[in-house]
Amino acid sequence: MATLATIFDRFFTVRAAEQAAPRTWEDEEPNRLRCFPNEDVYFFVKKIDNTQVVRESDPAARSTCWRVIGSCVAAAVLLIAVFLPSLYGLIAGYQLEALGQERQHLEIERSALQLEESRLMSPQRLEELARQQQFIDPAPAKVVYLDGKPEGILAKSIGGR
Amino acid sequence: MEIQGTRRVNLLARLGFVWAVLIAARLLQLQIVQHAKYQALARDQQEKTVEIRAPRGAILDRMGQRLALSLPVVSVCVNPLRLPDPALEANILARILDLDPAELLSRFQTASAAGRGFLWVKRRIEPEQARRLADLNFEWVELRTESVRFYPNKQLAAHVLGGVDFEENGNAGVELALNDELEGHPGERRVTVDPRKQSFHSTTDSEAIPGETIKLTIDSRIQFAAERELEKAVHQHGAKTGSVVVLDPRTGDVLAIANYPTYDPNEPPTKEQGLTPRDNLALSTPYEPGSVFKVITLTAALETTRLRPETIVPCGSTVTIAGRVIHDHGHYGSLPMEDVLARSSNTGAINIGLRVGDANMFEYMKRFGFGRPTGLTLPGESSGLVRPLRRWSKVSIGSVAMGHEVGVTTLQLAQACSVIASGGLLIRPRLVAGAATEPPVRVIQPETAITMRRMMEGVIIKPYGTGFHYAHIPGYTAAGKTGTAQTVDPKTGKYKSEYNASFMGFSPVTNPAVVVVVSLHGTHGEAGFGGPVSAPVFREVAAVALRILNVPKDLPDDAPETTSPVKADENDLSIAVLSPVPQPLAGASLAELSTATRAELSINDVPDQRSFSQPPEQLAGPTVPNFRGKSVRDVIEQSAALGIPVEYVGSGVARNQIPPAGALLPIGERVRVQFGH
Repeated sequence: MATLATIFDRFFTVRAAEQAAPRTWEDEEPNRLRCFPNEDVYFFVKKIDNTQVVRESDPAARSTCWRVIGSCVAAAVLLIAVFLPSLYGLIAGYQLEALGQERQHLEIERSALQLEESRLMSPQRLEELARQQQFIDPAPAKVVYLDGKPEGILAKSIGGR
Repeated sequence: MEIQGTRRVNLLARLGFVWAVLIAARLLQLQIVQHAKYQALARDQQEKTVEIRAPRGAILDRMGQRLALSLPVVSVCVNPLRLPDPALEANILARILDLDPAELLSRFQTASAAGRGFLWVKRRIEPEQARRLADLNFEWVELRTESVRFYPNKQLAAHVLGGVDFEENGNAGVELALNDELEGHPGERRVTVDPRKQSFHSTTDSEAIPGETIKLTIDSRIQFAAERELEKAVHQHGAKTGSVVVLDPRTGDVLAIANYPTYDPNEPPTKEQGLTPRDNLALSTPYEPGSVFKVITLTAALETTRLRPETIVPCGSTVTIAGRVIHDHGHYGSLPMEDVLARSSNTGAINIGLRVGDANMFEYMKRFGFGRPTGLTLPGESSGLVRPLRRWSKVSIGSVAMGHEVGVTTLQLAQACSVIASGGLLIRPRLVAGAATEPPVRVIQPETAITMRRMMEGVIIKPYGTGFHYAHIPGYTAAGKTGTAQTVDPKTGKYKSEYNASFMGFSPVTNPAVVVVVSLHGTHGEAGFGGPVSAPVFREVAAVALRILNVPKDLPDDAPETTSPVKADENDLSIAVLSPVPQPLAGASLAELSTATRAELSINDVPDQRSFSQPPEQLAGPTVPNFRGKSVRDVIEQSAALGIPVEYVGSGVARNQIPPAGALLPIGERVRVQFGH
């Protein structure tokens, strides 16, 4: 793979290896077992006893660790604090636009209903309905005037002005 | 190893630097050099400009009933040059919009072949269709919102409301007169959208200013009644056109303006229909009013002469003016002035006019508002026709006294009638509720107005009154005046046998709440006079208006029927040949609706007929005694003994009297005695 490391190795590492003295495997690898005859398979043995290992107390590392954790949390909180309003703003923007469209739609609907109401209340239609119901204009004697008492029960019941 | 590491770092740093420089250069190019280009591209992609709707203001009647309002509707358009697959798109659109796919495809192809980049697919589609199309979110379809004016009551008050053109600009009536107030100014806002074309942010560039809502003084119920009765009368009497105006004389509020023929403002004008139905006859077309104008003549007489309602006025079949002998349809001998009005005697009116004189008559015509527009908030109002005094001929006073040589509109007549009804105040008619108008002007004395009310009531309650059988409103007192005049043939400029039948009146008499003026054009024969034709319209419209306005009745419910064995004199046709037809009225545009009268009788001299223009001594009665220094009781006793009518003013001792002692009191006149302490 033509990574930067291999490119560097090509120029420097190979040259250093050529200049090194020959070494035997016993010197360098005491835990290596004897190899099988006529086999190029090698086994190594290494005994590791961790029972006596005690982690050395390192207050500096711990504090560094906590500092890193704290910094990360603070950074996260800061990021959230910075971006959360924008996020809320975005969500609110969607909601506002949706509400605006709904209001526009409702206004149009209200206008349509007002038009329909006006059509239903038109004198032509009311007269037609009255004719169908065989209503007649009240005779003069049948008309009761409220003599300026619009707050009376009778006035309210008949829609007095 | 140390050297190797340093070299690596150096190389890496150099590469990093080069990379950073390249990035910076690219950023410089994108962000600064090509800033405008990419900003525009981004805006095109992320932002769109949306119009903020500013609907045209609604028009309401005085009760808040909507007479006109605007509604947004969606129209569909496409760019035929950018349709990916015209056949498929035509199929989709046709299915949603209930169109013929083949025809729509043909339109696409035709438009595309012609290089047209815009094509309306369907205008004013249903809301459900608009929703379906919007949900599909096709890029090749554009939905445009348009505003459409609706008149929910159709032809009701059409001439008052007028109409709008395709751009929703007023082109007649209130829509034109108050276009600036009604017109809305739409705003604009920029909307930021996401890749799904959903908006999440918007900025208002300019605020929308919706049109004002205009509240009229019109009452749609009274308006409807006026239109209904007018149409009925036009059909019943074979008239061609007609108009009705209903006013509140106390405020000048116009409660109704009806015209026939009329039209539906929701429908655009057609060539077949022409513009005639859209003419607001009530205020744009003057005509010679005929006998209804006698009200003005008699009012002027009460104010400028000693004539009183009881004054006997010669009303023979002829009258001499400037050497010409004029004949009338009726021969009444002599009549009290109040009966001149009740019977609509032409010779009587001419005699009274001669007594009033040219200058006074002209002055009172102006005082009643004739010869100038009423100032109503409607376009195209005519000022009528009142000739300058210098252009009056010697016989003009006779013509004017009967309502000729003068052109008036129905609205002007209503305004003039309101002067009598309001007790002598000229109140400008008002169409917009709450609008400031000129303050009322007193043009006649209250006593004169009250006297005229009583005399006009006589037209309706006297068995021989021209409006006796037709204008009585059950439960209410009413006063009015009929009028009939001949119309002018536009081809010959001469009078023909068609009539203009009018009636102007008010009710109740003591505290008038409503003034109604009716004018029908093109009636024929005796059945086409103002009494039988227009007075019933007055009766029906006034009855409805009084009931709607909650006006208390001023007659008992069990009042006897106003029937009489005496035959009412319905002929109120005025004489028109005293002078030529006024040119503006004889012109082609106005002549069809202008009216005048014509003398059909041959000229026959009646030797014993006295002319009112003769010396006053021929009309004189007893000598006026000296009432000065006497008490009221003494004056009453003395005047009763001598048979002299006296008008008492004030209390105490008589200080002044008109006419002075020793003068001859004309027949029918009274002595005005002023008392004081």
